[in-house]
Amino acid sequence: MSFPILVLVLSFFVLLVLNVPVAFCMGISTVLALLAMGDLPAFVATAHKIATGIDSFTLLAIPFFILSGLMMGHGGIARRLIDFANVLVGRFRGGLAFVNILTCMLFGAISGSATAAVSAIGGFMVPLMNKMGYNREFNTAVTVTAATTGLLIPPSNTMIVYSLATGGLVSIAALFMAGYIPGILTGIALMIVSGFISVRKNYGKGEKFAFKEGVVRFLSAIPPLMLVFIVVGGILIGWFTPTEASAIGVLYTLILAVFIYREVKISELPKILLQCGVTTAVVFLLIGTSMAMSWVLAAENVPQNISASLIGLTDNKFVILLIINVLLLVVGMFMDMTPAILIFTPIFLPVIQKLGLHPLHFGIILLMNLNIGLCTPPVGTALFLGCGIAGTTVTKVVRHILPFFIAMIVTLLLCTYVPAITMWLPRALEFVK
Amino acid sequence: MFKLIKKILDHSLEILVMIFMAALVIDVTWQVFTRLVMKKPSTGTEELAVFMIIWVALLGAAVALNRGAHLGIDYFVGKLSLRKRIFTEVFVFLCIGLFSLFVMVIGGGSLVLRTLELGQVSPAWDIKIGYVYLAIPISGFFLVLYSVIGFSERLVELIKHKYPPQGKIAPPGEEQITAY
Repeated sequence: MSFPILVLVLSFFVLLVLNVPVAFCMGISTVLALLAMGDLPAFVATAHKIATGIDSFTLLAIPFFILSGLMMGHGGIARRLIDFANVLVGRFRGGLAFVNILTCMLFGAISGSATAAVSAIGGFMVPLMNKMGYNREFNTAVTVTAATTGLLIPPSNTMIVYSLATGGLVSIAALFMAGYIPGILTGIALMIVSGFISVRKNYGKGEKFAFKEGVVRFLSAIPPLMLVFIVVGGILIGWFTPTEASAIGVLYTLILAVFIYREVKISELPKILLQCGVTTAVVFLLIGTSMAMSWVLAAENVPQNISASLIGLTDNKFVILLIINVLLLVVGMFMDMTPAILIFTPIFLPVIQKLGLHPLHFGIILLMNLNIGLCTPPVGTALFLGCGIAGTTVTKVVRHILPFFIAMIVTLLLCTYVPAITMWLPRALEFVK
Repeated sequence: MFKLIKKILDHSLEILVMIFMAALVIDVTWQVFTRLVMKKPSTGTEELAVFMIIWVALLGAAVALNRGAHLGIDYFVGKLSLRKRIFTEVFVFLCIGLFSLFVMVIGGGSLVLRTLELGQVSPAWDIKIGYVYLAIPISGFFLVLYSVIGFSERLVELIKHKYPPQGKIAPPGEEQITAY
């Protein structure tokens, strides 16, 4: 390890442990490493890298997806999806857990964020499940893990970040298509686990719906679900770029939430806009400083070195992929998703390509690993948010979330070793050869 | 008096961020509208959007610091005593302040000057790129300001042995929750 990289890694971890915000940790260790390299104007170079890192029309889809997520968080849209899911899977034993998972997947199909699902769906489902006698920690575990399927089922903010991290090697549209089957598989795996637990704990069955009631509920879920066709469909047909689609999504959600369902007041809009602006700023500063850090790592040949030592370790593809998965799981536990994607994609992608895997396939593997990280302490945004909403603690939930982790890891391994799960849909639609 | 000035500053920054966000939505929707409905693609909406997002992101970064919305790992410092914890917060503000001063204000400032000197202009609007980058030192100025305020508040608490009930630099604000 060269001296500048040593400086970078050490300072990064010290600052991180001391609770310096992650974006600044990366910025500061980048500057320190540049100073240690000594051959560049460190301050100007870092400022320039931050600015060029966020200078992108594609990235603009992120604030728009955040904005529609915020407007969907106000209840009406989530509740209609819940009612619809209830008709489909509510009648079985442990029905509410199934409803929770299915709604998270549906919500994932119209919003780009997992945490929006935790608050919009968890905020309604967890209290309801508590009331119906389900264990509070089990409910939290179900919500938190199910919400992550939203990051695999398009649209997804993290896929936009990954596309950026590959330098446009994979298109957002292709990634979106690649995510559907792994996302649905994860949802099914979570349902199987919660089904087993529900039978063992003898949780209640939900009501059966008359056909007519079912149709009514299905119809009322159509307007929110139309977003799938507008956003993802619009991109597939080629009407919009992903950024344009996300803006149209904002417009559609606005009309739905403000004018039709009247759940968001016009007077609340400035607050929502500000909230979106601040979240955007947090994410974009992370993107800017991650790009700066990644550039320093590349200048010091870190990706080549790691790639060489991984390949040198063994030539067994199976084993290397397993090692990469374990590394990514650890990364996901300790790092926020955006910087993890931007920093580790350039590091692992060369190895992956040498092994003959498609970057699209790796993107899904990466996201699935980081999704698990979203539900683990010490850095698990979804887990902490879910615990806050359910009124429980991380320590209590951990035991209940373990079976769901097993389900997620099994799906992850399946998707890792069976490329067709990821690649079939984008290939069938001719996004990749 | 001081509090009033800070409040005015806070609000003007926040209002700027709101206006830019709203303008962004309108701008990109307009782009789609002109292309699909009027069949006459607008020129320059894309460029404008990119300029605006740079400003939103950088000004918003200062607002986020003021509201404690930047994500950190509070897992380890959470195990410290309150007094030690406030010590780490003093250090955190120092780090943020120094980074903002050297990289954003000084580095960003000279980046602006250099780009202006080169006279680079944007293709669609003829805007000097230097003015776009001006967001960096301006954001840096506010970041320094907010870190100095946070730093001195925490320092006073340490000296007077008077701590807030919740010694937290970054209360997990509502803002951060919908990012992923």
